[in-house]
Amino acid sequence: MGQPAPLVPELLNPGAVSRADSMVSVVVPVYNEADSVGPLIDRTRSALTALPAWELVIVDDGSDDATAHLVAEAATEDPRVRLVRLARNFGQTAALQAGFDRSHGDVVVSMDGDLQNDPADIPVLVATLEEGYDLVAGYRVRRQDRLFRRKIPSWIANRMIAAITGVSIRDNGCSLKAYRRALLDRLYLYSDMHRFIPGLAVATAGARIAERPVRHHPRRFGMSKYGLNRIAKVLADLLTLVMIRSFRERPLRLFVYLSVTCGLIGALFAGLSLFAFDGTSSDSMTAFVLPGTALLWFGTAGFMIMLGLVSEVALWQERSVAVAVTKLATLRAGVRGRGP
Amino acid sequence: MTPTHLGRRSPPAGTAAPTLAVSVVVPVSERPEPLDELYREFADVLRRRGWDFEFLFVLEPWGGSLAERLQPLVDAGEPVTVLIGGQTMGEAALLKLAAGYCRGAVVVTLPPYYRVEANAVIGLVERVEEGVDLAVARRWPRHDSWLNRLQNRVFHALLATSVRGRRFRDVACGVRAMRRDVLAELPLYGEFFRFLPVLAQHEGFVVEERDYPQDRRDRPRRLHGPGVYFRRLIDLLGVFFLLRFTQKPLRFFGLMGGTLTAFGGTILVVLFVQRLQGQGMANRPLLLLGVLLVVLGLQAIALGLVGEIIVHVHAATRPGYRLRPSGPPDRDAEAPLERVRAVPESLPSSGPRT
Repeated sequence: MGQPAPLVPELLNPGAVSRADSMVSVVVPVYNEADSVGPLIDRTRSALTALPAWELVIVDDGSDDATAHLVAEAATEDPRVRLVRLARNFGQTAALQAGFDRSHGDVVVSMDGDLQNDPADIPVLVATLEEGYDLVAGYRVRRQDRLFRRKIPSWIANRMIAAITGVSIRDNGCSLKAYRRALLDRLYLYSDMHRFIPGLAVATAGARIAERPVRHHPRRFGMSKYGLNRIAKVLADLLTLVMIRSFRERPLRLFVYLSVTCGLIGALFAGLSLFAFDGTSSDSMTAFVLPGTALLWFGTAGFMIMLGLVSEVALWQERSVAVAVTKLATLRAGVRGRGP
Repeated sequence: MTPTHLGRRSPPAGTAAPTLAVSVVVPVSERPEPLDELYREFADVLRRRGWDFEFLFVLEPWGGSLAERLQPLVDAGEPVTVLIGGQTMGEAALLKLAAGYCRGAVVVTLPPYYRVEANAVIGLVERVEEGVDLAVARRWPRHDSWLNRLQNRVFHALLATSVRGRRFRDVACGVRAMRRDVLAELPLYGEFFRFLPVLAQHEGFVVEERDYPQDRRDRPRRLHGPGVYFRRLIDLLGVFFLLRFTQKPLRFFGLMGGTLTAFGGTILVVLFVQRLQGQGMANRPLLLLGVLLVVLGLQAIALGLVGEIIVHVHAATRPGYRLRPSGPPDRDAEAPLERVRAVPESLPSSGPRT
């Protein structure tokens, strides 16, 4: 009788799953890319010949052209190609998450569907992941995009993201990334968070991150699906990310900090109003304006504390569920690791 | 916890395979037309079409006298089930309650009034059998007063500002046919039953609006009290926020807060510059306005942050997408989601009452 197999092999023995056993899932969200999906499938197939097992999961994000039809056809010819269809256009983040949820590999690679990424870079990213990282992010060398509309905004955004999240990634906008399944099981993408996956991965899952250069081709088909109005959205998302990183488990602290700040400003105005009434120059307007200003700040200080309490209530309501999910995810990662 | 039954005491059948063609659900949350007459009229049409069907009347606890009127139908062996809620819960909860008891492959919801002619039900159910997830009736042509029509226009024009995709012209009609799982899966609560087609479309279901002549007996009130209009506006605001910003509350509050703070900040900067030029600052009420705007803006942004905390915590339990149920085969389409979904306790009922 040999020793019983450990319940969670990956956790007890991280190196146990050899690369020959593991499957690489390539997840590609597409939206109206009927021209690109054919070449995409062909290139991926030829780029991954060296891998022992792989699958290409194409997530159709509610396209209204022939995209889904073409992928479905390819899937009947080659079982390694799989189609996941969303019920409507849910956006890139939701499509990515759907692909992650529906893929089998221990290693998952995400990629753009517009042929600007090169599937030939996938083996390098996967090999880097095997060196002991949870996430390998590609960065585009000799980027083939408009300077003013794309490159400069993204340069600024990358600097800001690095400064704010503390995770310095050269190219957050590059979709070509490789992930360990155990990381994805702890990462829940929503809203437009696909832009900040590295930051989110470090903030919520403590991921180890590496970067590798990847090729970038000019767009051949279709239109770029981004606009300049992203900046305000990115700013709001960044603010969210900061808050999540520091105060996810203790929002009351964030709001008490804000409250104390408001209270101090209020105290400043209160002090000023006392100073203004030293008896010599009593101006009726000053007697009205300065204490009023102080009261506004004091009121806001109280408001912030109440908000903090409300967010604690929200956490308290949800926390038991979230913990249960994390446990399940860890177990599932182990079970998956045993399979072929 | 279970509601009171009258008629066939079937256990909740919502999860078993459908055994009938059509379940007709009649939620009764206001004083209705005589329910037995309504039943006869619609049952007649369904019977002539040759479908197996059942009727579920879902009543509020005060509806005991209405149930008496249905008792003869039950006694005569008609396929009628009456569910009486344990507490007053509103139309959304009545629908959700009925969803658990439906045994038909297609669920038809019918308001307890005559909205469109009974034949409409046949057309709607057929559309669902042809693959539409939800088919809703629109009363057209209408022959109630121009005032009603005007109100309807204004309401739907306001609604259109928050809806992407297909526009609707009569969400309040209430005569709808859908696959059973659509009703079960819709996030329906409070006053949002009014927007059922909109919510279904937002979830990714295929929704279709079809025209049927308005019933001669459909005579809605021409003018409502001011409170009704005010409440409709609140509902519209709610649905606007739900459809647009539930995943990203900070975008909404941040936009409001950012604008307010920017205005206030501009005022403060101007005051500060003038102070440097020698003009007083502490005696000018404009300072109060500037600070007020800044403070309000900060409060809005802080509220948005609370929203983001809630969304972030929820993200782990509710997938932000829905897979397409039909179409080219996805080999995993039948596999359960690998995410644990929080199943909300949808029925706040407090035990049976008669």
